[in-house]
Amino acid sequence: MKRLAAITAVAVISTASACGGAGGSAGSDVYTTIDGAKQIDATAPINPFNPQGNTFLGYDAMSLAWPKNDPVDPNRFYPGIAATWTVTPDQGEVVVRLQPAARWSDGKPVTSEDVRTSIGLAYTQGGTAYAVDPKAAGSAADVQVLDAKTVKVTQGANKSNLFLRNVLSTVVVPAHVFGGLLPADFWATLKAARGSGPAAEKAKTAITGLAQKVISFAPAKDVSAGPFVLERVNPGEALLVRNKYFYANQNVAPERVKVLNYTGNQQIWNYLISGKLDSAPFTAVPTDVLNRIRQTQGNEVRKGFSPVAVSMAFNQTHKPYDNVHVRRALAYLIDRSQVTKVASPEAGTPAETTTGIHAKSAKSWLGDGLGDLDAYQVNPAKAAQELKAAGMTQQGGKWAMPDGSPWQVEIHVPASFSDWVSAAKAITSQLNDHGIDASVITAADYTLYLDELSSGRYDIGFWLMALGPSPYNIFQRIYGSANGWQLLAGQLTRVPPGTQGNWMGGPETLDGVNPGTLTGRLNAVSPEEQRRIVGMLAKVTNQELPVIQLYDYVNTQFVSTTRYTGWPSADSDVLRLPAGVWMQLGMIKKGGR
Amino acid sequence: MTVTQLSPAPITLRRNFWRGVLRVLRRKPSRLVGVGIVTLFAFMGVAGPLLYPSPLPRDDHALYAAPSLAHPFGTDFEGTDVLALVVTGTRYVLLAGLATAVITVALGTAIGLLAGFHRGRWDTVLMRLTDLQLTIPGLPLLLVLSTVWKFTSPLEMGVVLGALGWGGIARAVRSQTLSLRERGFIEAARGLGLSTRHIVGRELLPSMAPYIAMNMLIAVTGAIYAQVGLFFLGVLPFDANNWGVMLNLAVFGGGALTSAAALPYLLAPLLAILLLTLGIVLVVDAMDEIFNPRLREE
Repeated sequence: MKRLAAITAVAVISTASACGGAGGSAGSDVYTTIDGAKQIDATAPINPFNPQGNTFLGYDAMSLAWPKNDPVDPNRFYPGIAATWTVTPDQGEVVVRLQPAARWSDGKPVTSEDVRTSIGLAYTQGGTAYAVDPKAAGSAADVQVLDAKTVKVTQGANKSNLFLRNVLSTVVVPAHVFGGLLPADFWATLKAARGSGPAAEKAKTAITGLAQKVISFAPAKDVSAGPFVLERVNPGEALLVRNKYFYANQNVAPERVKVLNYTGNQQIWNYLISGKLDSAPFTAVPTDVLNRIRQTQGNEVRKGFSPVAVSMAFNQTHKPYDNVHVRRALAYLIDRSQVTKVASPEAGTPAETTTGIHAKSAKSWLGDGLGDLDAYQVNPAKAAQELKAAGMTQQGGKWAMPDGSPWQVEIHVPASFSDWVSAAKAITSQLNDHGIDASVITAADYTLYLDELSSGRYDIGFWLMALGPSPYNIFQRIYGSANGWQLLAGQLTRVPPGTQGNWMGGPETLDGVNPGTLTGRLNAVSPEEQRRIVGMLAKVTNQELPVIQLYDYVNTQFVSTTRYTGWPSADSDVLRLPAGVWMQLGMIKKGGR
Repeated sequence: MTVTQLSPAPITLRRNFWRGVLRVLRRKPSRLVGVGIVTLFAFMGVAGPLLYPSPLPRDDHALYAAPSLAHPFGTDFEGTDVLALVVTGTRYVLLAGLATAVITVALGTAIGLLAGFHRGRWDTVLMRLTDLQLTIPGLPLLLVLSTVWKFTSPLEMGVVLGALGWGGIARAVRSQTLSLRERGFIEAARGLGLSTRHIVGRELLPSMAPYIAMNMLIAVTGAIYAQVGLFFLGVLPFDANNWGVMLNLAVFGGGALTSAAALPYLLAPLLAILLLTLGIVLVVDAMDEIFNPRLREE
């Protein structure tokens, strides 16, 4: 027991000392930041295909183009390695022209062959535009090198209006470093894999079999086409220096970039309070800590649109949550403003109602239709009516199941998401105030949480939603695989509730509408038709409440004007892009207060 | 007719014992403080939840409020009085601590006594089992267990912590038993043909009772650290008034190590843990002198 206590104490002490000790002083030509996407693992390879890889998007890892932070249109971009691009109206063909002056950090030019190799490597990882299965929606069917700086990518027969976005998101790696990972007959094998029969299956296996080899590939040094190249990395930080061959070097102000490692949000807060960071991406911050950060000279907060919302999702295979009246009753009892005030006062705004869409996008998508939806303002009387309509009974001031057995509302959240824990606690307090016995149950970590959620063990769980700007991405969080609609090889199939990850277990049709089919169509229809479908889905979501939308996230970022100026303004369309892209675009200048 | 008077001797002994206890406590005022602290926490554990309304009141306009007369340790993220959370949370902590201590001591003593008294094969088997238990890394095992077991009851928590903590006591009790079994009074008991049960239960165990009792109290403090640590790491179920959960929310949700607003929210459960540990240590100090004649200062 003493040993156990000692281990616990040592773990806590080491965490605390780690929080206070890392980082370093920043010189005037060094830009200091953190990578919001991952913590640094000094042993990981310099490989963008490795999830822990020591490459940093926007700094030494380059996409063909960078998506703008548009609430509605997913097909707006800033140039990256691609200088320009053209696309046919049905997105059947994308022609990409590379930056004429683009060169790798070893002096070699960036060519179409590099893009083709990068696409080949992306096929080994699967997904998005590069699925091996020819029936998969939005997958590339052909990659043609037109000349040294022009590539044409053709979409397969099952078209998706996300094709351009997915192609332009391709991370480009040097063929003379990564090209050896692809066998000489790779493209012939890929062609065979896109056919049918045993030969195609064998070819598919051969391609997906390369995935691990690609992920674990460790080049001896970084070869970057971005504004910086990795010089060294240790457990505390990564140091990147200027790539003298970068095509837009005149735009880039800092000589070096230092990416500090962190063990948790608390360490990022400490970096910001001590004025170490020139910028930090989205970080959840309590109000008082935010005020402390603001007190540091030069620190400023930039808030912008973030297409993410959090909701309380129901497992409709569990009683009484199969009854829409129960779900509506809960919606009428939850004070979303109070929940947001408790859980995420600085990085959240209370959901105006449940539509499935972030409020900012909802205004663009739904227009005046938003006002026609039920706002689910707090209304205990309506909640009681709904509960009675569901057959729930009241015993000794407590609501019980229709058969008189106790009703225990259990809301599940991962313990590591402190705002979700606070929000869930605030909701249970509100429900307890209205005679509903409610409690919070935490899962040890997010991976375990998602595993238990998808296996159908929870009645109610917190769920990220509204992941725009693409309308398909928004609604597939509610009417996608978690609710039984699976898009496999271009075919939308429905799996029974409680099986194959269908933990929401909603009915196949709602008010005569098949929301899964409609969501699937969002990928392939015209913008006008998309708007009509989004209106229908928002209405059915508002009426049937498979989830209760709680609050919409606000992208809260931090910048320091002490050493650099030219920061994006609030709500800027570059706010969700890495600061390396701001530098490429020539926004960041030396100087400051 | 002869009238035989029976009970006065044990009653006098008991009276003398309690007088001795009082004398030992008075000798060092810190020991009285220790008894006071332990009594206070025992009272909080028994009556704490009765002192406050359920659910605890919240104030949306006083989130992370600073300490005041109304809220001596401020309020939490929901505007709930932190002192009320500490008081109502005492029951779980104490129950889990006691359950752990009882299981640790019961298992450790039984195994140590059996191994030390019987020696031979019993000793070999039981001590290898003890060695095996001592090699099990407690914290990682608990982290893994928490993924399948939610520990909603303090007794469940106590069972697991107890099952992981008896090894040290078993080894110590075995050593004491090996020493005592060679003493004259045990030899005499054997010579009189008394049963093993009698020798272990009536002769050996009382000699080790003070040592076992002190270990039990120390096991309580160990159990408190362990369970609060697990809750702090966020691997155990959420309960707003659990001390470990309070520490977790103060640090990771309120930024208590970074800003002052949530500091009282962090300090209140920490202070409770420190006070309870201090109380137990002071009581152990007194017990040491009460049970060990050599330490008694006349």
